[in-house]
Amino acid sequence: MNELRMERRLPADTKTVFDFVTRPENVAKWWGPEGTTLPEMHLDFTRQGPWSSVMMNGEGKRFKVTGKVVAVDPPNLVELTWAWHDEQDVRGRESRVRFEVRPDGSRASVFTLIHTGLPDEESAKNHEMGWMSSLNKLERMAH
Amino acid sequence: MSNLHQTFAALGDATRFAIVERLLKEGELSAGEINQGATITPPAISRHLRVLREAGIIEQRIDRQRRLYSVRPQAVEAISAWTQSYHEFWEGSLRRLEAAFLKEISRK
Repeated sequence: MNELRMERRLPADTKTVFDFVTRPENVAKWWGPEGTTLPEMHLDFTRQGPWSSVMMNGEGKRFKVTGKVVAVDPPNLVELTWAWHDEQDVRGRESRVRFEVRPDGSRASVFTLIHTGLPDEESAKNHEMGWMSSLNKLERMAH
Repeated sequence: MSNLHQTFAALGDATRFAIVERLLKEGELSAGEINQGATITPPAISRHLRVLREAGIIEQRIDRQRRLYSVRPQAVEAISAWTQSYHEFWEGSLRRLEAAFLKEISRK
């Protein structure tokens, strides 16, 4: 499907988790896969407005991604727009990211990441399987 | 990125997608072999093959009288890199998030 959804259960109340996934000094601790650094970052998800980051991998390749925080409802929800930039700094197609935090028992929370509107939407309408699964299948067959 | 856009546009057609699937599964095939069991006309097959070739997804090689088609590995790599970019980002970030979070709260 053209939606990415991941969950993590974390042993703290929703406010603590929400702070960890929205405050810039905390986001800096986890934003980007292992082995990447953040030469540039404006990652304040506690308020509406623009955000941006430039990640760099071990080989020095830079990946820029930018968007806007469009909704903030502490301690449960943040919604962002998201788009990669290419090497010429042209901003690609926009998708949407949601962070959801909900209580799970008295001392734990579940953090859910939902990335929707991935750039397969148009084609998905013409293909009953949906783009993601088709592409994943192609990928699997190729290996 | 624009190349990839063309790739997706070309693969958005069910017949072309099926052709690429067969080429990935069976390797190099001629137009006639691709057409075996299919219900479309040879000119239609040629047209689909041309679109796939122009999008850089497949390449053709002439072997005596036959044109043989195969999937370009670069095309699959590009698709694969693209589908992984989001997944990899979040998978990696969430792994770090969990580790950093547990470290943080154990300090309190």
